[in-house]
Amino acid sequence: MPLLEVCDLEAGYGPIRAVQGVSLDVIEGEIVAIIGANGAGKTTLLLAISGVVATRKGTVRFMGQSITGMPSHEIVRLGIGHAPEGRRIFPRLSVRENLELGAFCRTDRGAIVRDIEEICSLFPVLGQRMSQMGGTLSGGEQQMLALGRAMLSRPKLLLLDEPSLGLAPIVVSKIFEVIAGFTARGIAVVLVEQNARAALKLASRGWVLETGRVSLFANAETLASDPRVRDAYLGDA
Amino acid sequence: MPALPPHLAMISLEFFLQQCLIGVTNGALIALVAMGYSMVYGIIGLINFAHGDLIMLGACLALSLVGASGLVDAGPTATWWGVVLLLLACGLFCGTLNMAVDRFIYKPLRNASKLAPLVSAIGVSFIFMNVGLFWLGPADRSFPELVPPTNLFSGDTLQFTYQDLLVVVVVVLLMVALSVLVRSTRLGRAMRAVSQDPTAAALVGVDVDRVIAATFFIGGALGGAASVIYSLYIKTIGFQMGFQNGLYAFTAAVLGGIGSIPGAVVGGLVIGLVRSLASAYVGERWTGAIVFAILIVILVFRPEGLLGRRTREKV
Repeated sequence: MPLLEVCDLEAGYGPIRAVQGVSLDVIEGEIVAIIGANGAGKTTLLLAISGVVATRKGTVRFMGQSITGMPSHEIVRLGIGHAPEGRRIFPRLSVRENLELGAFCRTDRGAIVRDIEEICSLFPVLGQRMSQMGGTLSGGEQQMLALGRAMLSRPKLLLLDEPSLGLAPIVVSKIFEVIAGFTARGIAVVLVEQNARAALKLASRGWVLETGRVSLFANAETLASDPRVRDAYLGDA
Repeated sequence: MPALPPHLAMISLEFFLQQCLIGVTNGALIALVAMGYSMVYGIIGLINFAHGDLIMLGACLALSLVGASGLVDAGPTATWWGVVLLLLACGLFCGTLNMAVDRFIYKPLRNASKLAPLVSAIGVSFIFMNVGLFWLGPADRSFPELVPPTNLFSGDTLQFTYQDLLVVVVVVLLMVALSVLVRSTRLGRAMRAVSQDPTAAALVGVDVDRVIAATFFIGGALGGAASVIYSLYIKTIGFQMGFQNGLYAFTAAVLGGIGSIPGAVVGGLVIGLVRSLASAYVGERWTGAIVFAILIVILVFRPEGLLGRRTREKV
């Protein structure tokens, strides 16, 4: 049984149908990549899975249970973490408060403290900035905070929306290193990325979205060598 | 020291201090109301025009409860307990009413344009005023003097009575309680998160609608407490009292930096002081003009208000 099963999903805003009949599935502990141009519907797809954008048609099932139409805060509780596009950390809360909010739905205080310490050893710079306001962090630090915050709900599945966007190469490789480590923790990942090359290296399978529909779906290796993908998303001449 | 002749009395230090005391007491009351505006604005960006009238309804309930309970003839100890019960009852009433208004009127409009809830709030204000008209009748009603106007200072030079003390003590206690709640509780942290980014808050598991409802309850409950204190302090209530008091409190919230709770306190104190000093030294009929002239000047130079936020954030 797949961990996440999206079936014929349709979602959008007002008259805009950003996602039109997308199906995909994620198995436990697996990383899958979703690539596509700007406006292809990648972000909307993730937001619909998380219940932020209403699903108009189709179903989303998580661990065999339907989560279609469920409010976001309950979906988080079931085990889907989401590091949204643009990071969206809380700018006027301290780094510590941002992380504590990541564990908002948990009550195991001792374990939360240990998990925060672990995040700080993963991203030492966050440990140094615990009492600083989130909004004063650099872009890379904010992305680390967003990842740490999403991890603190102890998800079984993480939705990551453009975690490398606008970051320096050295930060990008650090972030991808951490994402690669999620498999060992038993966390499955849906990775939405502009940086298709790096995403397909991490992922086992990938989907290509074009104007709200799946145009290609294959193993990551197959996708990375597909001429259409190479032309459009990998920048090979 | 010989007494100053009447035309010079107003330049004496005692007179000035007395006006300051009056200003601080009035300002504390304004601040309590301003916090209700600021909290709701901070969390959903709505200027809750009905807040002043909500307080008027709280005062109606307070008057009815006092009348029904026969508290006027009770002994001093019973009276103090009666005041505490009044604060609780009116706090609960106004908090619940405010939460219900959000649930049935503002919540369905959450995704509409900002103007729709604003206009609805004006509508709720008028509905409340009409309810108040039915409840109290068209004429102003006097509120029984439950707290004795005994002066706490010896001598006649300075007046600070039990009634003033009640205002200051209740307001300070509620402010401290509110800042503890917002700073260091789970609900408070969720409130700050929702006010900064509701979607991100939902994505970490915060039930945004419940947090908004709680904010309306707390803001309303503070208004309920304000209604009791107002009634005991001013001792005249009427169905139109919500409008002017609401306007001053809203001004205080903007002056201090709307959305900021310490800002509401500072704004309330500034307006209270300016009002009492202006009416003592310039004349009662000029106070409104002076208060709002100062507001305009401050906002021209600090549009975000005295304690409003002006931090630069990296995007």
